[in-house]
Amino acid sequence: MNKTECHPPIFEVRADEPDYERLKDPQTRDTTRYGSFIELVPEDSTLRGESLHINGNPEVGGNPNRYKQHGFYFNADNCIGCHACEAACSEKNDNPAHIAFRSVGYVEGGTYPDYQRINISMACNHCEDPVCLKGCPTRAYTKFAEYGAVLQDPDICFGCGYCTWVCPYNAPQLDPVKGQVTKCNMCVDRLEVGLKPACVSACLGNALDFGVVENIPENRIEAKAEIPGFPDPSITRPNIRFQQMRSTHREMTRPDGLPVKYHRDDASGSFQPEVDAVKGGAERQWNWRKLLTSHERAHVMFTLSAQAVLGAFLLLLAGGLGGALTPLARAPVELPLLAGQIALLVFGLFRLNMHLGKPHRFYRGFNNLRWSPVSREIAGISGFFSLLLGYALLAPFSGSLVDVLQGLLGAGAAASGLAGLYFMYRIYRIPARPYWDHWQTATAFAGNALALGAALAGLVALPVLALSGASAAAPAAMLAAAVALGQAIEIAGHLGHARAMRRIGREGSVSWFLQTTRYYWPWVIRNGLLGVNVVAALGIAAGTLDGWALAGAWLLLGLSALAAAAIGRSLFFVVVIPTTMPGAFFWKNQDFVEHARQTGLADQEQVGVVREHHGRFKWDELWATVRATRPRDLVRHVREILVWQRLPGERRR
Amino acid sequence: MLFGRHSKNPIRIADKEVAGWTYTTCGYCSTGCAIEVGKNARGQVVASRGVGGADVNRGKLCLKGMFEHELFDAKGRGDEPLLRRHLGESFAPVSWDGALDHMTAEIRRIQAQHGRDAFAVVSTGQILTEEFYTLGKLTRGLIGTNNYDGNTTLCMASAVSGYKRSFGSDGPPGCYQDFEHTDCLIAWGSNLPEQHPIIYWRLKEALEKRRFPLIVVDPRVTMFAQFADIHLPVKPGTDVALQNALMHVILAEGLENAEYIAGNTTGIDELRAEVAKWDPTTAAAVCGIDEDSIRNVARLYARAPAAMHIWTMGINQSTHGSDGVVGMNNLALLTGNVGKPGGTALSITGQCNAMGTREWSSCSGLPGYRALEKPEHRAEIAQFWNIDPAFLPQKRGLFQTDIFPAIETGQIRGLWLVATNPLTSMPNTARIRKTLEKLEFLVVQDSYADMETNQYAHLYLPAAVWAEKEGTFTNTERRVNLVRRVTEPRTGTKSDLEIFNELARRFDPEGRVRFPERPAEVFEEMRELSRGRLCDLSGMDHDLIEQRRGIQWPFTRDQREAGEMPPPGGVRLYTTPRSFQYPDGCAKLIPLPFVDNNERPDTQYPFWLNSGRLVEHFHTRTRTGKVGNNNKYSPIPFMEINPDAAVELGIRHQEYVRCVSRRGDALVMAMLTQRVPRDMVFIPFHFFDCVNRLTLGLLDPHSRQPAFKQSAVRVERVADQTAAARLCLEARKY
Repeated sequence: MNKTECHPPIFEVRADEPDYERLKDPQTRDTTRYGSFIELVPEDSTLRGESLHINGNPEVGGNPNRYKQHGFYFNADNCIGCHACEAACSEKNDNPAHIAFRSVGYVEGGTYPDYQRINISMACNHCEDPVCLKGCPTRAYTKFAEYGAVLQDPDICFGCGYCTWVCPYNAPQLDPVKGQVTKCNMCVDRLEVGLKPACVSACLGNALDFGVVENIPENRIEAKAEIPGFPDPSITRPNIRFQQMRSTHREMTRPDGLPVKYHRDDASGSFQPEVDAVKGGAERQWNWRKLLTSHERAHVMFTLSAQAVLGAFLLLLAGGLGGALTPLARAPVELPLLAGQIALLVFGLFRLNMHLGKPHRFYRGFNNLRWSPVSREIAGISGFFSLLLGYALLAPFSGSLVDVLQGLLGAGAAASGLAGLYFMYRIYRIPARPYWDHWQTATAFAGNALALGAALAGLVALPVLALSGASAAAPAAMLAAAVALGQAIEIAGHLGHARAMRRIGREGSVSWFLQTTRYYWPWVIRNGLLGVNVVAALGIAAGTLDGWALAGAWLLLGLSALAAAAIGRSLFFVVVIPTTMPGAFFWKNQDFVEHARQTGLADQEQVGVVREHHGRFKWDELWATVRATRPRDLVRHVREILVWQRLPGERRR
Repeated sequence: MLFGRHSKNPIRIADKEVAGWTYTTCGYCSTGCAIEVGKNARGQVVASRGVGGADVNRGKLCLKGMFEHELFDAKGRGDEPLLRRHLGESFAPVSWDGALDHMTAEIRRIQAQHGRDAFAVVSTGQILTEEFYTLGKLTRGLIGTNNYDGNTTLCMASAVSGYKRSFGSDGPPGCYQDFEHTDCLIAWGSNLPEQHPIIYWRLKEALEKRRFPLIVVDPRVTMFAQFADIHLPVKPGTDVALQNALMHVILAEGLENAEYIAGNTTGIDELRAEVAKWDPTTAAAVCGIDEDSIRNVARLYARAPAAMHIWTMGINQSTHGSDGVVGMNNLALLTGNVGKPGGTALSITGQCNAMGTREWSSCSGLPGYRALEKPEHRAEIAQFWNIDPAFLPQKRGLFQTDIFPAIETGQIRGLWLVATNPLTSMPNTARIRKTLEKLEFLVVQDSYADMETNQYAHLYLPAAVWAEKEGTFTNTERRVNLVRRVTEPRTGTKSDLEIFNELARRFDPEGRVRFPERPAEVFEEMRELSRGRLCDLSGMDHDLIEQRRGIQWPFTRDQREAGEMPPPGGVRLYTTPRSFQYPDGCAKLIPLPFVDNNERPDTQYPFWLNSGRLVEHFHTRTRTGKVGNNNKYSPIPFMEINPDAAVELGIRHQEYVRCVSRRGDALVMAMLTQRVPRDMVFIPFHFFDCVNRLTLGLLDPHSRQPAFKQSAVRVERVADQTAAARLCLEARKY
């Protein structure tokens, strides 16, 4: 049976299709420069000969290089910045103005008339090591044996945006309106019929090309892995090659708002990002509003509350083992303390879930235990929460069986919670975000768990004890010591971080620059509070306060610790600068996006900026999923999550 | 699947479910790209793509063309005629009959009270050639005003004037194929990659096959300037000094083509005498290009076996615009670079049908490059139209830029604007506002009810847009292209042709003059009138034009009857000796004395104000400002300023700043870049209430085209950025 008679072609090839649109790869190499096989699966692989089912079409494309890794080729010497590639992409993919799978930014250098602008057109690089795929908790990403395309399925995605954090190239696009991510699909429909992607076919500067990776197009000479403004390729081993042979200036600046410029390292010829202090301005600013109302404030609330609850619970468990903290695990403190922890964790989890683009798809967060620290964090914290609930339910009862059971639940909760905390830390160890990618993230999280946990425990325990007339001096001294220790750990982390960020160069230094200029005063206050908190906590630990006076002093300490934590964590999210591509003056310029939202320009659809949206929890969609899922599917799905099959791929020499 | 999920979902890729494609021609710039517009099964227009087999664009489109299908349903389209008695009133809907009756009565009243020429018509380069021709017939043949011009005065008038002065007629002699044959290309005041990206691509393709020197003359370091082998950062408005110096070197060093000059030109002695004054040392002090570069470029150009010029607004929009064009023609004539492959002076036009209006609109003369000044032309047309030859004026009336001052002083009382937006596009907005306020009757005929000049209209006529209509455009290389109707005119609108025809019935109830209904029939009239003219298209018809993906004129009936098929491209003018349009067949070499009369920077206004075009926008943004995937690249006005100047003024990147000239002020967002020199700022011209609040717009003496690119301004910091942001937002309805 001739399939083409039954189905429309995967993509219509016109009778007068210009030759430049056709793929030309008569020869290919065996391996990439990173040592991976270009032929992605062995000859006998079961993955061969299957249809991609593009829009349900069962046709199998006839491209002779179907199982070879493909990639874009960009000749930076030729790009004129005409936006034709971006427009062709958006036209084909029917994208609204605020979404773009491909974007053109630029860097510029020199002095008039010896001025130079280098445009950079960038989409997805369909990486050898797709950090988006590994980071995505829902497993919305797949790297296909066909063309090595990394494709993302928005029907799976729940809109957490983690892939947009880990990708160094701004490839995944989080749509605030639809609450989901979409991205470049390599135009696999065109590849199946032998045509280059739409963006390449549209290029008017003869800058953009496409083919089997490592192949150099006709009339081109180089295939470099880097050009000025392009992030370090070692992060993901991107499948893009460049030509950039025109002499460059020693310094290239960005037209967008970020105070980043690029400086040439003569030894390697590559450009390193560094602080553009002229653009940034060295004024010491407050910027409270921007600091505390960022899109990431849900993460601030979740991480702080989860850490505080975990810390408090561990202290409570420690109390159960005896010693000065014993009152925490005994009536009348235990029940209110557990209730407080549960309430705070519910709040944190609620804020976290509701920041998702599609909060009703929360259950998908476990899908990628195989790769994603997000999935593992969610699993750890969810386990902690469930076991904490169990522990709390048993708390009013006594008896040896109950005690054993509660002990088991407590130990499980502690283990699960600590695992959750560890992966919460791993989430932020993103190479594309140098400011986070430092051990300080661990000290901040652990230190906060201890300090805020102790503060929380004290905030519940001390008034309760005061009310019951019992002395709280002994547990308070212990808790105060924990606060002091927690804050000291955090301080140690900040000192190490500051040293590292000042020296690291790159975007880490730029984050540090922002923190000490645009957010100077909040940063100073945070530092001051940390110091004050250590002294105050040590004072309480060594002091003789008790009863309501102690509870009152503790309240002040707790608020101060909370303030330090809230400012610190907000800074953590606001000043981070990804190692992304440069933007343009308006387009892909975060400063202009914020300006448009503030001034109301964002209300005009054609400006290409939309406001932040809150994802709606769609009960009906959740219920429809529940009803449509047969038990067999559920079992299969859980098995797929838990049984980590060895999948083909990652074949390296 | 390589890794990721175990079981894969089908891949979903956006499918617009195009059920059929309609061939048409892009309605933005003058490149003349063939475009196919796709409709789905429900008849909705959903997609655009370039036509693979079309010689002009060979499958490519720029970002404007790729989203042109979104025009039909863009915001701000008018859907009923609107009328008011005076500007204090708000508009009220009126029927089409009521609107056109009222318009007819008002035109008659004004003409009766103040004379026939007291009612003026300013048209455009945007509508179809058949419509231009019909409007010309209506205006010249029935309404009878001599104050009839097109907005092409703002863009191409200098090219027209320069061609006429040098060659005896308008009509760009070259074609895009010349890129494939030239050995040296000088681009004057043209930012080709930004203004005409498809033509740039054709040039780039040629350069990839065969290297030849590319020389760009532009005060700004555009991408084109960066890619040039030689960039000449000329001082604003001094191109003619540079041209004179180039001619000086060519003549002084004997690099001219004496044989060609002797056989095809007149005036060499006068030219020689003038350029003798312009040795490179003298010229360098005026134009800012060092003398060695001048000599180098002159030799490169003159020694190239074939050399060409292209130019755009950097030349045309200047007080020496027409002279600048003549200067390039002089250079081409001196070296025999006219009418041969790769040897030409090719003006790169602005609007999609600027050429159509030049050839057929009767604005500056009569159809088919005929002149009002020639009695035989008047007689010929009067007979063809069946009107009294005496009804036609004996010389052309006012240019657009003189019509507005005539309104100011009361000579003109009524104005009809067809698809043009002078409140945004004319220099010195404040003066234009005051001028428009004085009109007794202003008709705005436009596809968009929200276009800014409508603020001053008494009557608004909603017109169909682009491919809601059918007819032809002529592109920059004299290629007649076909616009096929893709979709019906929006409900409540009429095609411009229909509007003209309905008005004709009112001015000529007896039907003395024939006004065909169908565009193809109008084309037949044009075909008849073109026979034997330079712009002979008598061999063409709509179907053949579509079939050949556009046909360059001339293509004569004789050629067609001889069975000759029009070639896909490469048709040139003046290819045979003494074939110029002056009676003696010779082109004129014209001396160009140079006086710098620009408003130059001084201590009070220390910056040159330069203006220009962005690739994502077209003209006054009435279209591209509503297409998000175009507009988002520059949704608000900005100003390029040199960082060294900005630092001195305390101006930061992305801050709003105030620009002040002797005419007014404008708020723009500052972009710090070394693309512009220390003493120049650059503001795109597309935005309402922006750069033209500042421009002086001195007029070229020959073409009456304003010098948009040479004014002086100062730049001020704005302390209250929030208020500035608000003002900026309020000026942007789109």
